[in-house]
Amino acid sequence: MHKRYQTDHGPGPWVLRGIELTLPAGTNVGLIGRNGAGKSTLLRLIGGIDRPTRGQVRRHCRVSWPMGFGGGLQGSLTGRQNAKFLCRLYGQARDMAERLERIQAFADIGPHFDSPVKTYSSGMKSRLQFALSLAFDFDVYISDEVTSTGDAAFQAKARRAFADLVGRASLIMTSHHMGTLKEFCTAGIWLHGGQAHWFDSIDDAVAAYQEGLPA
Amino acid sequence: MKPDSRPPWRVALCVWHALLLREAVARLFNKRGAWLWLLLEPVTYIGFTVFVFAVLRARVIGGMDTAVWLASGLLAYFLFRRVAVQGASAIGANLALYTYRQVLPVDTVLVRCALEGVLITLSAALTAAALALWDKPTGAQEALVCASAVAGLWLLAVGWALAASVGSELVPELGNLLGLFMMPLMLASGTVFPLSAVPQPWRDGLMLNPVAHGIEGVRAGLSAYYHHAPELSLGYLHAWALGLLFLGLALQRRFRHRMVSL
Repeated sequence: MHKRYQTDHGPGPWVLRGIELTLPAGTNVGLIGRNGAGKSTLLRLIGGIDRPTRGQVRRHCRVSWPMGFGGGLQGSLTGRQNAKFLCRLYGQARDMAERLERIQAFADIGPHFDSPVKTYSSGMKSRLQFALSLAFDFDVYISDEVTSTGDAAFQAKARRAFADLVGRASLIMTSHHMGTLKEFCTAGIWLHGGQAHWFDSIDDAVAAYQEGLPA
Repeated sequence: MKPDSRPPWRVALCVWHALLLREAVARLFNKRGAWLWLLLEPVTYIGFTVFVFAVLRARVIGGMDTAVWLASGLLAYFLFRRVAVQGASAIGANLALYTYRQVLPVDTVLVRCALEGVLITLSAALTAAALALWDKPTGAQEALVCASAVAGLWLLAVGWALAASVGSELVPELGNLLGLFMMPLMLASGTVFPLSAVPQPWRDGLMLNPVAHGIEGVRAGLSAYYHHAPELSLGYLHAWALGLLFLGLALQRRFRHRMVSL
């Protein structure tokens, strides 16, 4: 799989070059690499938002949208309105009231659930995004740095939620917190120079990443 | 039902449903009283123009009551402009939504076009009510001609929106140029002066514009005795609409990945 972006000055440099991967089902995978290594790009490709320039992505399961960076939330609408939009988008309008309650309870942002998303702090936004994606049943959840912005209580909650998912769904995530990655993931992918290196153990991936860092 | 086990047409329907409600909320309630202004803007515009023309100047234009003539022309033009302009900005305004792979750029354009069509219909109903209170004739004597002209104008605007939305994402300057184009288009389409009074060869030039055919068609549908421009052809309007729709859908299809990765 290859990917490059079109820039104002013609085709840009290759971000991902010749990546060939099969992600096993039911494994939590951590994606690491330095800034600009193509982590978010790879997640966008897996999530189906973007197409590879060459090659293809095959999904054999239900994959969530990538959570992170406030994407997918419309600032002028409230948290509740954004949640309703998603329920309708996924064709779950019938049990919307119950689903909204679950989202509200998990996000736990109090009365702010009914105020516009543009007034949220980044922590509140990631709480909402996290709650939104957990409200739907996916086989794979994609998280782009979303867990790293929450406070300690929220991180604990996210950890419990992920633990509950084991056996039912898996996770593909990026983070610059090695601790977070080691906690959530078993396997790892190290992105470096447009190539992806697969490690069965996240510890090896982290070690390779840290060795690859210039001193 | 599991999220992604739906057939494609059901996914599309769900997307349109969700987008329509979201767009409606954003458009009608983004500011205090936004909905009131949105519905009343065309009505007040028409009211003012009608006052100037019908009370201060002529009573009858081309065998049609001046107030009805103006209101129908302006509403028909607003239908085209609102749908075309709002639809053309739909792709850029919904960038956040392409995070969900179900939502395609073309969906946001189509949904906006539908929403604007409904809103302008409500404005038209308000205008008709006001005219009826004023004892003006508001029924359509040739309802099918009227409906065909309105449908043609809406489809033309949808085609425009589909093509212009892609165009203005690829070449942002194009968006400004197309916006500039709208004001002279209003005058050239015969909204405030009768095209049948324009001498040849100028009228031939003006009747190249499909919007003029749509507006004259709406008036011809409202009043069977209206002296419309002799070149009026609804077939011409629909041919343009078909052409623009094809062009717009082709552009949407061709650049669907480019739109999302911008």
